[in-house]
Amino acid sequence: MSATPAPDPLLSVRDLTVTVRGEAGERTLIDGVSLDLAKGEILGLVGESGSGKSLLCRALVRLLPSRALAIAGGSVRLAGRELTTASTAEMEAVRGGAIGMIFQNPSSHLDPVMRVGDQISEGVIFHRKLDRVAARAEAVAIMEQVGFTDPARQYSNYPHEFSGGMRQRAMIAVALACDPDILIADEPTTALDVTIQAQILRLLMELRERRGLSIILITHDLGVVAQTCDRIAVMRQGGVVETGAKRQILTSPQHPYTRALIASHPSMPVDYEASEVDDQASQADQAQPFAPAPTPPLAPRPLVEIDDLQVRYPVGGGVFTRRRFFSALAGVSLQIMPGETVGIVGESGSGKSTLARAMLGLSPISDGHVTFDGDSLRLTPAATLARMRREAAMVFQDPFNSLNPRFTIGETLAEVLRVHGKVAPSAIPARVEELLRLVELDPALAVRRPRQLSGGQCQRAGIARALAVDPRLIVADECVAALDVTIQAQIVDLFRRLVATMDLTLVFIAHDLAIVRHLCQRVVVMHHGRIVEEGPCAEVFARPREAYTAALIAAIPDIDPDRRLLMPPASVLSS
Amino acid sequence: MSGAAATRRLSPTLLVGLGILGLFALAALAAPVIAPYDPIYQEATARLQPPSFAHPFGTDNFGRDILSRIIFGARVDLQMAAIGVFFPFVIGTFIGALAGFFGGLVDAVLMRLIDIILAFPFLVLMLSIIAILGPGLSSFYIAMALVGWVSYARLIRAQILVLKTADYAVAAVSLGFSKPRVLFRHLLPNAVAGSVVFCMSDAVLVLLSGAAISYLGLGVQPPTAEWGIMVAEGQAFLSQAWWITLFPGLSIVVLAFGFSLIGDALGEMMGVHE
Repeated sequence: MSATPAPDPLLSVRDLTVTVRGEAGERTLIDGVSLDLAKGEILGLVGESGSGKSLLCRALVRLLPSRALAIAGGSVRLAGRELTTASTAEMEAVRGGAIGMIFQNPSSHLDPVMRVGDQISEGVIFHRKLDRVAARAEAVAIMEQVGFTDPARQYSNYPHEFSGGMRQRAMIAVALACDPDILIADEPTTALDVTIQAQILRLLMELRERRGLSIILITHDLGVVAQTCDRIAVMRQGGVVETGAKRQILTSPQHPYTRALIASHPSMPVDYEASEVDDQASQADQAQPFAPAPTPPLAPRPLVEIDDLQVRYPVGGGVFTRRRFFSALAGVSLQIMPGETVGIVGESGSGKSTLARAMLGLSPISDGHVTFDGDSLRLTPAATLARMRREAAMVFQDPFNSLNPRFTIGETLAEVLRVHGKVAPSAIPARVEELLRLVELDPALAVRRPRQLSGGQCQRAGIARALAVDPRLIVADECVAALDVTIQAQIVDLFRRLVATMDLTLVFIAHDLAIVRHLCQRVVVMHHGRIVEEGPCAEVFARPREAYTAALIAAIPDIDPDRRLLMPPASVLSS
Repeated sequence: MSGAAATRRLSPTLLVGLGILGLFALAALAAPVIAPYDPIYQEATARLQPPSFAHPFGTDNFGRDILSRIIFGARVDLQMAAIGVFFPFVIGTFIGALAGFFGGLVDAVLMRLIDIILAFPFLVLMLSIIAILGPGLSSFYIAMALVGWVSYARLIRAQILVLKTADYAVAAVSLGFSKPRVLFRHLLPNAVAGSVVFCMSDAVLVLLSGAAISYLGLGVQPPTAEWGIMVAEGQAFLSQAWWITLFPGLSIVVLAFGFSLIGDALGEMMGVHE
């Protein structure tokens, strides 16, 4: 199953099998995986959650997350040395020394009470036996390499003083401190914004060039792989279903699963080929590509009208100091017409979730107006809220956390129907079944609790709950961000069908521009609590007016390896 | 997956704990049938008898059978543990839920009240309340309810504070559910798991403080059989007749052990340790 082995693989994995002992006997989690990694090569390990990508990499350095897990067979050879039978002391020298690791969430893998520089020099001292002064000099040099602007000063800062991107750089510096030959990067950019992701990926590639580092890059995003890797291994259910050179896998995938994975990647169409990839929604816009931004209102009155909305949170400030405020939304104005599908995009902290919640009266408004179908939330709060609760619903990001874990799916839906009283009590079971069919869930699943369902099924249940209100407006807040790509594509399809068949206005919030591009007619780009650009999807993506929008679009890793990741202008990123 | 409820087997820890508690409960219920003697009958000829076939746990300085007194004492002690936990649990859960859910002024006032109660040592506060109300079991229950709810309130409040920002709570609000419905139907059932586990270790505490109060002569009054009093009465004869103190003391320990086993197992089952 392995591809043609490189002439002299640095790391060679053969038939590696990991099993777990449970009450029901042994189960195989990693099933006979074989891989090769040459010097200076970037290998992309792709697969959905639960496919065993992270476990495989932990097995390489024998850091299995539980005692119940054991390597049952196979071999891992690092430069000719067998690792599966090496002693604990030998493995300690390999971990960090020969194989460094970085993880998805830099905040939880850096020691919060230790200076960043000390965390880097700790590895230098341990693995390279340098004294403190020399280690400090080395750490500063590494920090400079990974892109710290003022390493001598930043050496003494604590992790919480850095942004997510800088923390990830610090993590990379910690891993590099021991001068490893191989870097295992486990979803290193998943928790980061696209523009930061582009920087980190670029950094990894530079390090490969400069140090001859071999990298195993674990990711679920084929775009990331297409932009950075040399070879790809696709994993599914603990086994590698396909390995090969990047172009070969992306252009002519052999395994049906790989084909499905590639097909569900929401790639950004280039502007000139927009019509062939896009749906009918933007084709309407194509007719008048230079039309002014907002589509002229067809209905006399917008369903939601937001006027100079401001939301501020108090930060710090005690009895004696003046209270300071953080502006989550700094004057946002937006109109949403009935039947429209509006996408709101922006990076984390741009205020898109706050906007969603303020729009539904779920978070307090500091200033400005929200009007729902003519009723002002400011002037007649009680009446407007009552209407919103009956005519608008929300779909959340985390599919498991958004459903009460103690209720079955059927109970959750039935409760909504009962409280709203739009359906006669005797008709509730039938309506529950109808709702489940509407979101393409098997009605037999109604007796299950959220924990007994998959993420995608839970998200469908969450959508069914929103539909139970019989809403005119649905606000979906990052509702596909936590799902695997193939499931993402299904949920987006479901939304598209619902919008097409029902009289529904959809506000779709996402950080993934490609998905918004596929689903929405109009897009609103947010940055630092303000709207920086808005207009019909096709036009904004083809000809962004603002530098920030352009940077955001350019930073999306495309699945086509020939469309290089563009470096957005530095001025935008530093803002 | 479908049989997940069925596969949730009872853990051995829970079975042992329930076994111990069941044994004492059975003894308490069937006390008149299984006790070999009347617990307050004083047999003048058989004072301070060591354990024998006639008196398996021996007799005390009045010639009363220790085994019978322990069996009858189980009635009082189990009742103490149950009532002594129930009222603090109910009051604490309710107050904690209100404080956590509504926040602001409600929270500030209730939390300061809790701080005041916590500022006094537990036993001192108990003793002063009982001293005011007069000795007796009902005073003990009232004192327990007035003092014991504090821990439950803090536990529940912390849980509610976390849970009320959970997506399903926001979802419930966004669907127009009323505040009582969100609090009592959606948040509270998810918040009580920790408190239910704490209940069990609290039962141990109640048992011990009940015994301590009785030992000081402020709880159950002689000649009623109660383990704490029995320990107290045996103390004077410790050097000549160790069995008077040992067996009731052992009963307290074993019952307390049973409660903690149940608490541990419940914690595991409800995923409190996750």
